[in-house]
Amino acid sequence: MAAVNAQIKRGSAELAVLTLLAERPLHGYEIAKQIEAQTGGVLRFDMASLYPMLHRFERKNWLKADWQTLPNGRRRRCYRLTAAGRKQIAPLRAEWRAFFQALQRVTGFQNA
Amino acid sequence: MPDWEQIVRKNLRVPGVCSPEVTEEIAGHLEDSYEALLREGLPAEVAFQRTMRQIEGRRKSWLVLRFLQEDIVTDFTRKVALPGLLTFAMAMAMAWALNMAHVQPKTIFLANGLFFSLPIAWLCLLPVCGAAGALVSHRSGGSRLQRIAACLFPSMIMGTVLFLIFVAGFAISRFVPDYGWNWAVALPGLALWLAGQAILTAIPLLLGAGVAEVRTRKFDRLAQ
Repeated sequence: MAAVNAQIKRGSAELAVLTLLAERPLHGYEIAKQIEAQTGGVLRFDMASLYPMLHRFERKNWLKADWQTLPNGRRRRCYRLTAAGRKQIAPLRAEWRAFFQALQRVTGFQNA
Repeated sequence: MPDWEQIVRKNLRVPGVCSPEVTEEIAGHLEDSYEALLREGLPAEVAFQRTMRQIEGRRKSWLVLRFLQEDIVTDFTRKVALPGLLTFAMAMAMAWALNMAHVQPKTIFLANGLFFSLPIAWLCLLPVCGAAGALVSHRSGGSRLQRIAACLFPSMIMGTVLFLIFVAGFAISRFVPDYGWNWAVALPGLALWLAGQAILTAIPLLLGAGVAEVRTRKFDRLAQ
């Protein structure tokens, strides 16, 4: 599967992460793995893309992070979406939808 | 099982990046990656090497840079400080260029032998700087107040200097005896001059920002 340009990936990361966390709280590794699995490996987030972004979202109060102890005794920092974060999803989706529709009109792609 | 926290602490030895919380979080990520590779059937040594690749070489530098970038490039930096610095740098570059071109400020004589210098050419160029600062702030999503702050950055620097001189003048006039130069008069005089300069520069800078604002709105309307 072709890799996605870094600029496009960076722009889409916000929507991908927020949408994923709207379903249930996850820790960083789970977020990265789920995005990779759900996109068939097209979108991959390494630590350098993922964690600074999660911390930025946390500062913006879009996410709240809590340390949780797993059954094996290890601690993981779980992120969950706040009400403010949930509000960001609809405008981001609208923005991306408009972008894809515009791209579709120009390029003639179906399911762009 | 490798001690991932120890490895992260050793590899990402940068203040801020290696805070205990971040260390533990990154160590947890590496631990999960390592265990996933072991579950895939890789030998422990290969799994360890592959996991380590995430915090080695270019990836390590990129990780550190991205954390620092997130810490440093805040909204204020992007919307006010950087456009403001651009305004200031442009204003200073123009002053330097005019000086190199021997464009002298106009000297205006007042009564009682008093005079002041008016850098007319520089003041005429300042709207360009104000417009540039306001536009860069606008592009970064700055609000109207942030755009004004960005375009007034050179004036704000002068204002700060003025304030410091006032404070220094006040302190000196109270605690230091007169050594032949009347500090109590000279410093407030200098402060007043700087205030004049600050106001004088603020006007063309705001004018430039205003023009940029009108042009941007017009452009936005056309683009819609």
